[in-house]
Amino acid sequence: MTSTEPATGRVAPALTTSGFLRAPFAPATYHGVAQVVVGWLWALTAGLPVMIVVVTAAALVPVLGLGLLVLPPALALARAFGGAERARLAAQTGAVVPAPARRRPGGPHWVTRLWAASSDPVGWRATAYAVVALLLTSVYLVFVVAMAAGAVGGVVLAARFLLGGGDAGPLATAAGTILLLVAVVVALWLAACCAQAGTLTIVRLARTLLGPSAAAQARAAQALAESEARVAESAAAAATERADVLSETRAAALEAADTERRRIERDLHDGAQQRLVALGVTLGTARRVAEREPAAAVDALEQAHGEVKETLAELRDLVRGIHPAVLSDRGLDAALSALAARSPVPVRVEASGLEAAGTTAQAAAYFVVAEALTNVAKHAGASVAHVRAAVVPEGAAGSGPVLRVEVTDDGRGGAGTAPGGGLAGLRGRVAALDGTFDLTSPADAGTRLIVELPCAS
Amino acid sequence: MRIVIAEDSVLLLDGLTRLLQSEGHEVTGHRTAEEMVAALTAPGVPLPDLLVTDVRMPPSHTDEGLRAAVHLRSLHPDLAVLVLSQYVEQRYAAELFAAGTRGLGYVLKDRVADVDEFLDAVGRVEGGGTVLDPEVVSQVLARSRHDLADLTPRERDVLALMAEGRSNTAIADRLVVGPAAVEKHVTNILSKLGLPPDADAHRRVLAVLRWLDLNGDLR
Repeated sequence: MTSTEPATGRVAPALTTSGFLRAPFAPATYHGVAQVVVGWLWALTAGLPVMIVVVTAAALVPVLGLGLLVLPPALALARAFGGAERARLAAQTGAVVPAPARRRPGGPHWVTRLWAASSDPVGWRATAYAVVALLLTSVYLVFVVAMAAGAVGGVVLAARFLLGGGDAGPLATAAGTILLLVAVVVALWLAACCAQAGTLTIVRLARTLLGPSAAAQARAAQALAESEARVAESAAAAATERADVLSETRAAALEAADTERRRIERDLHDGAQQRLVALGVTLGTARRVAEREPAAAVDALEQAHGEVKETLAELRDLVRGIHPAVLSDRGLDAALSALAARSPVPVRVEASGLEAAGTTAQAAAYFVVAEALTNVAKHAGASVAHVRAAVVPEGAAGSGPVLRVEVTDDGRGGAGTAPGGGLAGLRGRVAALDGTFDLTSPADAGTRLIVELPCAS
Repeated sequence: MRIVIAEDSVLLLDGLTRLLQSEGHEVTGHRTAEEMVAALTAPGVPLPDLLVTDVRMPPSHTDEGLRAAVHLRSLHPDLAVLVLSQYVEQRYAAELFAAGTRGLGYVLKDRVADVDEFLDAVGRVEGGGTVLDPEVVSQVLARSRHDLADLTPRERDVLALMAEGRSNTAIADRLVVGPAAVEKHVTNILSKLGLPPDADAHRRVLAVLRWLDLNGDLR
């Protein structure tokens, strides 16, 4: 469709654009003449035999169905002729006619296959094209040749008038000469326009009979529209699903943050704050008994000193629980080693090349391992635990490199992510980063936790 | 005196026990409210002179201590109770003081670190007085429906100290003025608020708290 306008402009400028005055000198005219000549020869030598074969085969159908055997190859021949004709037009005129759809498959049964082969519309339309093209090119060729010959003859006659030949006859007057020259010009223009019109007509005929049929084009357009609609629908469904996942993980992240805040509040309340109050009581006691019982006061002061040191240790732990300094200073590798060193259960750490992971992913990985090792120490009854951390090019869920952390132990298993528990909070934190969280903990068979976090996070 | 303490933090329980023992009291400690209630309601067990309880204790770490205190006061209205709380809330105070204010105290736990103040509160509550944390008093004053604009700033200070349950002598010490000046302020305040003059410190606290509508949230 889109190629129609420029093609006609190139093929027949005299008829479709303002190229009328230049018509006899335009390249399109000589191409048109060549096209009509070649087209006529081709229609005569190839199109005509194809038509004869097809018509003969069709005529043989009533004769014991003999034609049914000949018709399919005859139509295939017509198809081939159509293809060759499209190629010729493309080469000679530059007008590209789209190829029609491939032959429709028949059915499973041989009768339906035979029927499909015998009624192939592409073959029949190519046959019709052969007939019409032969007639049209013949007419155009005759007309162009006649006009050109007339023009040449007129020029020869006029030359004889002007040279004043002896038997010039009654028309050899000045007026007659001018009239003759006008006729020559008109013939020349008519021949040129006719040559261009011939090509234009043939191209349009080819578009109609050799291209895809209107119904096929409509079907193709509909199929395209349907597939675009399906793509849009599935994109919309994917977007909705993504939105659902995001609102879920956002809620989980908020909950995880909330749980974390409550944990910090509880740690501060049950820990440092209580210790400081107790310290105040102990120091107050020491002051009150200092004069009466100096020995008791010294005891109380020693007690207070111990409490101060314990409070400091507890605050250090608490601060590490909020964000460990070693993670920011030395990276996840060192932070994991520090975690392993503090664990009462022996832990083997394999970690290297973790710099590719983002700081948020590293922090999440750290807390996953910290919580997992705490659980190992508290509940698993394990003799050894194993931490592996690595950046892998492609995660289980696809889409880019991930920081993969695996914590295994040989304990009693049975770990779960009960709501409100430490692992459940971490699961929310991991989900908020678009990570995956896979906990396998069968009874009496150890626990394996695999967490993957997108490096970009 | 015989004192029972319910406090889940071992450290603080130890500290308070040692402090009160060094002051010559007999002390029994419990780690949970349930354990404490069971011990005090067992048949044949004499009631202590004072119960000191934390609000937040296992198992739920919310207000077990407060509920236990309210429950025990409903069984024994004469039991002196001093409630220690991580956060003081007018609402908690209102629940605690709803059934009477005699021999009842409600203070911020952090105040325990000021040992002298704590021992003073212990003595006042055991003696049947009322101790209300200054923070609760300021909350009550801030939410009072009454207009306190008639009171001078000094009178408002005195009113706050009265609401905390302090005696005239204690108020005089705190404001570094003479007892006569405090008595003049108290008389002025009571007349401005339209309350009857009363020499009894406890009845006066009750009147002030009632006037300030401590229990407003419960009605």
